[in-house]
Amino acid sequence: MKSDKELIKEFQGGNEEAFNQLVKRHLPDTYGFFIKFTSDTVEAEDLAQDVFIKMYKALKKFRFESEFKTYLFRANINMSNSYLRRNKWRNLLHLDQAPEPAYLDTSQEDEWRRKELWDAISKLPKKQRMVVSMRIAKEMPYKEIALAMGINVNSAKVSYHHAIKTLKDLINK
Amino acid sequence: MNFEKYIKEVSDSNVSSLNENIFLEKLHSERRRRDSNKLRLFNGLSAGVCVLLFSFITFSQLADDPIVYVSNDLKSLESMDIETETYVYELADYLVETSDDIWETLAFLDEINFETVIINENGGLE
Repeated sequence: MKSDKELIKEFQGGNEEAFNQLVKRHLPDTYGFFIKFTSDTVEAEDLAQDVFIKMYKALKKFRFESEFKTYLFRANINMSNSYLRRNKWRNLLHLDQAPEPAYLDTSQEDEWRRKELWDAISKLPKKQRMVVSMRIAKEMPYKEIALAMGINVNSAKVSYHHAIKTLKDLINK
Repeated sequence: MNFEKYIKEVSDSNVSSLNENIFLEKLHSERRRRDSNKLRLFNGLSAGVCVLLFSFITFSQLADDPIVYVSNDLKSLESMDIETETYVYELADYLVETSDDIWETLAFLDEINFETVIINENGGLE
């Protein structure tokens, strides 16, 4: 099986099929990541599509300064940040349409709790939001988070700790 | 309950699998659509710039001082070519010679700034 690097080089040489193989390889992770964010298959698919369209352009100039997996993950995080920003506005604009939790059945209640969690995450400062997203959505170890964000491990741990404390306050309020 | 455990539980959701081939098909058609939109926008902008440039050039040509055209026949003699100069002298002579009222003719020559030339070239009209 060809490595990511080999596939990217082939793609840069004009082989479109190499890009398709790369997408197939990383689609489950990317899609799964966005599913956890959005709880919506259509939105998750759209976000994954946007990320891979950006990758199509970016990979032609990719200089292998970092692992493709890390590069893709950063793109996912940036996309999720944009999504959370958009969602924050959408929530503000549709506050009156939010259903009352007391009237929801169990499945809707789960959905409501998930939404409440991601809404709370969207209120966190950017660095904390990124760390907590990676921990929750990907269950990534601190070492990988630090690598993906270009920070040191302790900084990632501190950000996560602050984020959890803030989330606790926001959700239990 | 441990709060971290709680958020992990909440965030867990069943990830339904996605058909890779359909996804790729949609991905490439969307990519092509965006590229063609971008190209159309670029072409539109280029055409707009060309039209603006052409309009500006045309306008700047038309905006040349219209007095140049209107007063062409009243240009000072220094800037006329020899043929025109001769013609103007002959015309002035003709006007003076055939005039019933010399003062009216002189007033006319004065009006078109011919006096200096007459004085310089002919030593004045006696």
